[in-house]
Amino acid sequence: MNDKSDAASDVSAPRPSTSGLGWEEFSREVVDFFASIKLAMFLFIVLAMTATIGTVIQQGERPETYVQEYGEEAYRWFLRLGFTDVYHTWWFTGLLGLLCVNSLTCFYKRFPSVWRSMRHDKVSVSLSFIQGMKQQTTLALSQPKETVAEGLVRLFAEKGYRVLAKSDPGEVTVYATKGIMGRIGAHVAHLSATVIVLGGLLGSYYGFQEFGVCLEGQTYHIPRGNFDLRVDKFWIDYHENGSVKSYNSTLTVIDQGTPTMTKTITVNDPLVYKGIWFYQSSYGDAWDQIEAARINIKDKANDKILATVDLEWNKEKAVDGLPLKMKMTDFVADFAFNSTEKKVFSKTAEHANPAIRLAVDERSSVQSTPWVFYHYPDLFEIKDSAYQFEFIGYQPKKFTGLQIARNPGINMVWIGCTMLVVGMTLSSLIYHRRLWAKIIPGESGVTLHLGGTTHKSQIDFQKEFKKLTEKIQAKTSS
Amino acid sequence: MMRSLFLFDMTFWLYLAALGLYVAYLFAKRPAMQMAPAGHPIDNLEDRDGAWATQLGQVATLVTVFGWVLNTLALTTRAFERMEHSGTFAPWSNQFEAMAYVSWAIILGYVLLEFRYRIKAVGAFVVGIGFIAMGAASLLPYRYQTAEPLVPALNSYWIYIHVSVTLTSYAAFAMAGGLGLMYLFKERAVNRGIESRFYAAFPDLETIDELGYKAIMLGFPLLAFGIILGAMWANYAWGGYWSWDPKETWSLIVWLIYGAYIHARMTRGWEGHKAAIYAIFGFLMVIFCFWGVNFLLSGLHAYA
Repeated sequence: MNDKSDAASDVSAPRPSTSGLGWEEFSREVVDFFASIKLAMFLFIVLAMTATIGTVIQQGERPETYVQEYGEEAYRWFLRLGFTDVYHTWWFTGLLGLLCVNSLTCFYKRFPSVWRSMRHDKVSVSLSFIQGMKQQTTLALSQPKETVAEGLVRLFAEKGYRVLAKSDPGEVTVYATKGIMGRIGAHVAHLSATVIVLGGLLGSYYGFQEFGVCLEGQTYHIPRGNFDLRVDKFWIDYHENGSVKSYNSTLTVIDQGTPTMTKTITVNDPLVYKGIWFYQSSYGDAWDQIEAARINIKDKANDKILATVDLEWNKEKAVDGLPLKMKMTDFVADFAFNSTEKKVFSKTAEHANPAIRLAVDERSSVQSTPWVFYHYPDLFEIKDSAYQFEFIGYQPKKFTGLQIARNPGINMVWIGCTMLVVGMTLSSLIYHRRLWAKIIPGESGVTLHLGGTTHKSQIDFQKEFKKLTEKIQAKTSS
Repeated sequence: MMRSLFLFDMTFWLYLAALGLYVAYLFAKRPAMQMAPAGHPIDNLEDRDGAWATQLGQVATLVTVFGWVLNTLALTTRAFERMEHSGTFAPWSNQFEAMAYVSWAIILGYVLLEFRYRIKAVGAFVVGIGFIAMGAASLLPYRYQTAEPLVPALNSYWIYIHVSVTLTSYAAFAMAGGLGLMYLFKERAVNRGIESRFYAAFPDLETIDELGYKAIMLGFPLLAFGIILGAMWANYAWGGYWSWDPKETWSLIVWLIYGAYIHARMTRGWEGHKAAIYAIFGFLMVIFCFWGVNFLLSGLHAYA
């Protein structure tokens, strides 16, 4: 952030007058354009406006959803403009890139003058310069100029100012400054934009984010990290009123065949191994497996229930009192049949049309593998069999939803965020103040011209200036 | 019924009373106004007040402070209730509590401003916003007002700091919005040459403008800090620090809007009138981010 008074003193160096549009001229124009506050405001506003698009139009949905809601013509425009994934379009990324260029150019153009004013300040100024300031006063004091100057230096130093004094023949100039860190802070905040965006880019090019549906007891290979992950246990904790308190998975990392790490993860507490983070993201009922199924075995002839058996997943069970062995081999949550591949699959993850496949061994003579449906008990009937099987209930198997992610840019993003917060805090809490005092001896005593500027917080500075003036009067009159 | 709800109710009525007193303060007689010689305005605004105005102003301040103490008590009581019923004690864990916290922060900000700058006229606007926040909270259905257990994603120590910092920035923007409105009132009076006792209590335009700017300069880094804390939390809970969730995006939009304001102030012409309108606009965007997003747009923040 710059201010007017500074900009005015910076351009005092005369520009070389080249005829036409020379390279010097051109590059200065370019720097001025990219460093301009106008461009910054434009980018802020345009980014704010375009960012709303993605909150109004659902992002990353299937084409049907858009066509249904907005019509085909609108959807075609959405695709052309990238409205279905606004935040990853070239133009949105371009705007972010421009914001980086803007803040970097601003740093390049304005930081040197801040740096210079930290090192060597302009002490001697003209009287009219002081009198032209927003805060300025003239005091007539009866003491000699050396005493007044000493008193001023001590007062400013007490208030935390850095003081420089210069004695010229006939007059003394005292300069005091405070709060340059406010300026530095603004520049740190400007640099942070680029650091954050670079961290984001690094993450999106070299990182990944995947979702895994995992079942208890299974081991999964993580190709990105070249190790295995075993899900030892998954469970849900409940509050007294029955609402879910937390859900947890105990995971074991198996690297090169040996278990190296075990951790129970829960929402807000992920497992991190070799830079890959495993988050407890969701849970639900598996769509391709269940814990147990309850089957009614009916006599085909008289429709009487002969037995009710509970089958466990993939375990053969002999039915008591009947010459029958049964096994549940498959489950689909939402039954569908692909006729070209002759394959059964689950249409969705919802338990809309649950069905199990049984392997039935009847008197060791009739063998069949029928699908039985939870909602449609009479759909199929097994030929040559004396029985009818009814799928009357089941206990679903819970899956644990794991988010698997690696983000190599994350530390850079955090560094940028720290810079942003520190920079913004400095620049909003500390403001840069400068005071100049000229002591000119007169016939009796001296005349003190005191002036001060700040780039913001005018009322606070006004108060401070008033207090300082009162102090000077009090000190020198006693 | 929970004990805290009674305290929240009392706070609501006290804020209403305080608002009424501040408005009455503005309309009170100011004989000192006539005594001031032309061209020499009295620096200290309190010196302009007559006996009536002084007393009304003192009572208004007292009622506001008392209301704020009750608000603090209500939030503390709610924190203990939360500790019993759910896994946290952050008294800003649902929409109702968040609103009550925002009005707490607004009133605290106002009281500090009054003690520091001795301008009571601001109260009619800023205490008004605090009162509206409290009123809107009490209009929520009862099931939003109780201390239900938290969903697993919220059950984290991050809720203490992310939510409170963000809500505090909202309070700062509310203050700036109130001051912006006040600026427009005063400006209208100045432009039309109205010299009523009503406007005599107002500080000069420059002061209102500068105070509004200060409020935004406080809210702006706080919001950035709040968003960043949210990103850090998301990195632990959702598996990514930024997912363009509507709430996230809207808080960024609000931040960008104020970013434009802060940069605009660097160039001339964005003080005073324009800045006041912009502060009101920004505050409307904050309201949308705080309320609109929760009720109109779906997303990961839809917990209420």
